Amino acid sequence: MLVTRRLVTAGLAAGIASPALIRSAGAQGATVKIGMVTPMTGAAAESGSFAQTGAKIALEQVNKAGGVLGKPLELVMEDDQTTNPGAVLAFSKLASQPDIVAFLGSIRSTQNHAMAPDMLKIGKPVGFGGTDPNLTKLGNPWLFRFRPNDAYSGKVIAQYGGKELGKKKWAIVHSTDAFGTAGAKALAESLPENGATLALDQGYANQSQDFTPVVLAVRQSGADILGTYFTFETDLGIFARQLRQLGVTIPWVGSPSIVNVSALKLAGPALYNTYGVADYAEDSSEAAKAFGKAYREVRKVAPDNQSSWTYDAVVVLAMAMNKAGTTEPGKVREALLAIRGHKGAEGEYNFDKNGDGLHGYNIVKNEKGDIKFDKRIDFTPNLG
Amino acid sequence: MDLVLQLLFTGIGIGSVYALVALGFVLIFRATNVVNFAQGEFSMVAAFFMVMFSVKLGLPYWLAFIVSLIGMGVLGAVFNLAVYYPLRHRTYLPVIISTIGASILLANATLAIHGPEPEVLSGWFDTPGFLVGPVYLDSQYLLIIAVTALLVVLQYWFFEHTLLGKKLQATSQDKEMAALLGIPVALMIMVTFVYSAVIGGLAGILVAPVLFVSIHMGATIALKAFAATIIGGFGDVTGAIIGGLALGIIETFGAAYVSVPYKDGFAFLVLVAFLVFRPQGIFGERVAEKA
Repeated sequence: MLVTRRLVTAGLAAGIASPALIRSAGAQGATVKIGMVTPMTGAAAESGSFAQTGAKIALEQVNKAGGVLGKPLELVMEDDQTTNPGAVLAFSKLASQPDIVAFLGSIRSTQNHAMAPDMLKIGKPVGFGGTDPNLTKLGNPWLFRFRPNDAYSGKVIAQYGGKELGKKKWAIVHSTDAFGTAGAKALAESLPENGATLALDQGYANQSQDFTPVVLAVRQSGADILGTYFTFETDLGIFARQLRQLGVTIPWVGSPSIVNVSALKLAGPALYNTYGVADYAEDSSEAAKAFGKAYREVRKVAPDNQSSWTYDAVVVLAMAMNKAGTTEPGKVREALLAIRGHKGAEGEYNFDKNGDGLHGYNIVKNEKGDIKFDKRIDFTPNLG
Repeated sequence: MDLVLQLLFTGIGIGSVYALVALGFVLIFRATNVVNFAQGEFSMVAAFFMVMFSVKLGLPYWLAFIVSLIGMGVLGAVFNLAVYYPLRHRTYLPVIISTIGASILLANATLAIHGPEPEVLSGWFDTPGFLVGPVYLDSQYLLIIAVTALLVVLQYWFFEHTLLGKKLQATSQDKEMAALLGIPVALMIMVTFVYSAVIGGLAGILVAPVLFVSIHMGATIALKAFAATIIGGFGDVTGAIIGGLALGIIETFGAAYVSVPYKDGFAFLVLVAFLVFRPQGIFGERVAEKA
């Protein structure tokens, strides 16, 4: 065959244009796609796999019930490598696919902060799990939170420690990342209304190999109760062991990571008799129980909040698209904001104007490794 | 005073871990003049070997320990053949990049084979630790300190008083001269890689009960161990030990008395200070370019 200049040019043009053509064909394609930024490698790869399972269970249920707008729902996952640059890269890879109509962001607040500018630019709804209260106050209309934020967790920890356990002098230990700092601030701010004071506010950098100085500071502070915001389960495990070894036995109420499956495995008896605020507690509602059953069938272990929020997010995004009757971002956003009383695995969803869907937490207790539901504390949201 | 003693014990314990990994850095640097950036991953892989043999396959702890170290020896040999040997006549840069690539490969291969779940490995002793007066002594840290001390002695004896040790030293000092004297240079370098992988693995197995077994455990320790190597003086065995211990103590006391969040900062501040004011490290000799 004679290769002419025209043939080469035509070939090049076809080569350059074809991905765009394929993409635009996909936009009106056979499935409705949701992009998911999730850790597959790095420090949170394990919890990432839980999140993926939660989302897949929801996907299956949505598709069994008829899908979205008559088409099957599809998940497109990208690895965030458990880093902020990785998350930004993963999101931009997904955002470059025009047929993706909505996204799932990260459970890590710091990563959501990193991706937020791009999320604003792309202008499509993003469900996320990070609990830094500031994330829904950025003026970014596309962010929808599928876990209660830490303004609530701080309030619940302070209220439970003060009113139920009767303790008044707090030591707060927290990661210095966005999640830990915001959580500790919310807890510290909630202490006065519960008649309590702050004896120690101690930050630490993620991935520490040793917590001796932190534990000694807690011991010396004279605190009668400990509140914690840990990001990584390995950190929590090392801290818990050293806390017990150095003889600190004061009551401990922790942020949700304290009841995570990985933390329970790593820390073992060091976490017995601790309390945790948990956005997901299997015995807290019928919806939570149903999710627990579905999850156990797949993973053979109990679920935790890593999977419950992605499950809820996929279900609710699909529901909003079906209610809106379109995948047009503005209409889906309005449908999300109009959701009232949806009973999800994490609790009852009522989105306020900031995009916060949940407004309370469960308190659970670690009884020899079993997580027992104690009570749920809900706050009345301003649904404006 | 109680506080100081407790911090000192922890500092020496964590410093010994850095020192053990730093030893691996030094040995390979001495033999090949390059830094092996996969040294931390050796620790991680060994810890996962231990989990596989001891926890999953249920071998007795001592047997799992020996099999894991043999596994590390094999890994060291393969590493030498695949990562260093093909590039041995090139400058140091391609070799360093090759070791960085190998470190990524090892981490991701472990992730692919085992999965991302962190694991718990029990320690050598049933008793996790005991109180001496007001100071809590973690039995695993005690073991780490003892093994580090023992290795220093063994290493000194090995390099100074055995023929193999002397051959290794000769190889590291001048490969061409060593070859002319009939020392099998390639074999000596192979022995160094095997030994370094075993030492790195030993560090990983010893520290696993304290820090848990996870894919990223190697990278965190190796970074500090690398800093310890520079502080001690690259290429100096005693320096690596002193550098590791110093780093452990400095960061523990810095965290307790200045700032916990900036704990890692102290270690690297010391590193920068050494690079600026004494780049040859504590024990290193000033390198003068020959005319």
